[in-house]
Amino acid sequence: MDRKRTTPPPPNPNPSSPALLVTRAAASPSKAHMLAFHFLRALSRIHRVTPVRRRTRTIRRAAYSSMARAAGPRRAWSRALLGQARSRRARTLARRAVLVRRRVLTAAAPSSPAARGGGRFIAAGGETSAAAASRAALPPRQAGEPPRADALRRLVPGGDAMEYCSLLEETADYLRSLRAQVQLMQGLVDLFSCQ
Amino acid sequence: MSSRRSRSRQSGSSRITDEQISDLVSKLQDLLPEARLRSNDRMPSSRVLQETCDYIRNLHREVDDLSERLSELLATSDMSSAQAAIIRSLLM
Repeated sequence: MDRKRTTPPPPNPNPSSPALLVTRAAASPSKAHMLAFHFLRALSRIHRVTPVRRRTRTIRRAAYSSMARAAGPRRAWSRALLGQARSRRARTLARRAVLVRRRVLTAAAPSSPAARGGGRFIAAGGETSAAAASRAALPPRQAGEPPRADALRRLVPGGDAMEYCSLLEETADYLRSLRAQVQLMQGLVDLFSCQ
Repeated sequence: MSSRRSRSRQSGSSRITDEQISDLVSKLQDLLPEARLRSNDRMPSSRVLQETCDYIRNLHREVDDLSERLSELLATSDMSSAQAAIIRSLLM
């Protein structure tokens, strides 16, 4: 313990000082605090309540939800994420009864395991065939829009409904928040593994 | 590409000019991880979009990995000292 106190915190990517955990996360400290507040609150709830086998999935969802809450409703991507979380919660309750019946009838494999990647997380909101078809058939909104924009629309939450110009703006903001969230989580992992 | 000049007809009330689009694209380029390594010349927008997509996918993957590590660490770590450290970092 004394060794840690005498040496000053070196400027390396794994700081011994936990203060860098928060200030590193975003340009303005208040945004970083909001992000940390929402995510840590969710983490403590998960630690108390969630059974161990569902934790990874729940933590991942909590990461995106706290990102969206910290960003607030003024961004289209955060609104889309919060709406997806809300509708998923509502659908889970309805689907449970259906799944039990289906499992008994077909004895097929249960629904897919923890979805990898945020893309699947976003697609979980539109799993119905109608939504998938509309997503596949979406033409570019503007004549000069490059075809790559379709892939970007799928990655950014709420991207399907945006004009190309807004898509670029939302992507920049989403990217910044995502980076801050990753840095926050990385800092937490460092913190917990140093104990 | 030749229809760029007539794009102003597409949007409703506001004219979305070419410059605005390329301005946004260059902002995206600055956000990319290797923005400092490259020269400040603008990359073609398709390249910027491609790299942005890859970057977002990487970040999604990192969120998954970190979620998994966090769930393992939550089970094993000593909560009281970690909590004190977190509160300290938030108050500073």
